[in-house]
Amino acid sequence: MSPTMHVLAELAIRFSALSLVAIGGINAILPEIHRVVVDVQGWMTSAEFARLFALAQIAPGPNAMVVALIGWKVAGVAGALVAMVAACGPSSLACYYAWRWADRLQESRWRAIVQRALAPIAIGLIMASGYTLAQGADRSTGAVVLTITATAALAFTRINPVWLLGIAALAGIAGIA
Amino acid sequence: MTSTVSGATPARLEAISRSELFASFLKMGLLGFGGVLPWARRVIVDERRWLSDREFVEVIGLCQVLPGPNIVNFAVIFGARSRGPVGALLAVSALLFVPVGVMLLIAMFYEQVAGNPWVRDAIAAASAAAAGLILGTATRLFVQARPPLRGMLTGGAAFVLVGILHLPLLWVIVVLIAVAVVAEWRASR
Repeated sequence: MSPTMHVLAELAIRFSALSLVAIGGINAILPEIHRVVVDVQGWMTSAEFARLFALAQIAPGPNAMVVALIGWKVAGVAGALVAMVAACGPSSLACYYAWRWADRLQESRWRAIVQRALAPIAIGLIMASGYTLAQGADRSTGAVVLTITATAALAFTRINPVWLLGIAALAGIAGIA
Repeated sequence: MTSTVSGATPARLEAISRSELFASFLKMGLLGFGGVLPWARRVIVDERRWLSDREFVEVIGLCQVLPGPNIVNFAVIFGARSRGPVGALLAVSALLFVPVGVMLLIAMFYEQVAGNPWVRDAIAAASAAAAGLILGTATRLFVQARPPLRGMLTGGAAFVLVGILHLPLLWVIVVLIAVAVVAEWRASR
């Protein structure tokens, strides 16, 4: 096996094994990815890893795309694709079959009970992820005002979020936040 | 009953064409700065009216307890619901593959602009607003879904245990689901 193929195979095996335990998304397995990528394989330093994570937050698309960035850093565009398919493929297949199974229980009373039980927990967890992000981002009074304004605008108006992000970015450049 | 997405597939989901499905998830993927969920709710609930807030949060609830990124799971389930396995593949591809190309382009230039103070300040401020987009989406879902007191307690507990106390997500989910299922079961008798 050529060195590149070897690295691609390594990425595929490591990430697909982690995919099925990623309950809560990629953030749940990020410490383990860090251990593999930085400590075990020595593909990058801890600082580089942190930079890629920050970049995935900034870039459009799901934050899970940090795995594509890691693959790209390790083995170029092929690495990005292999890492992403490995990280999302097995969990997506599991999700598909879980849904198919749940779909067959349509009339089951238990299914309605579980679904009603999960919904409020889902809202609580979304709130928790927004709060965690806000804690990291709100380093000034201006930033807190931006977070609160965006929260209220999304909750109670139908304004397009693009405007909120654009205005916030301008406020940042102007030194207000 | 309240839920339709979980029950029989409503006609409005089966009427979604493959190109509409692809375009919608592509839009979410390309706009999802700081998190795709606010965009998913906006596109699916406000713009296309394919799901109500309550239906949306029920699907997201299922996505959260399954392994994998929540929003990718959402694409799998929504895509499969409307257009079968091909739909799932289309939705996931639109959500992931095109944005990955954009992200790699950004990554190539990022090192050159990362030191620029304007870029830094703009990103810092936009990140603060992006956190608000997620908090606002959660608030809207809460207002629209209007959970009963038992739901407010389990949802509130999820927020406090994960968001403030930073307890391990897996254990919080396992315990809270057990509590919530028992509470719903008792209420339904």
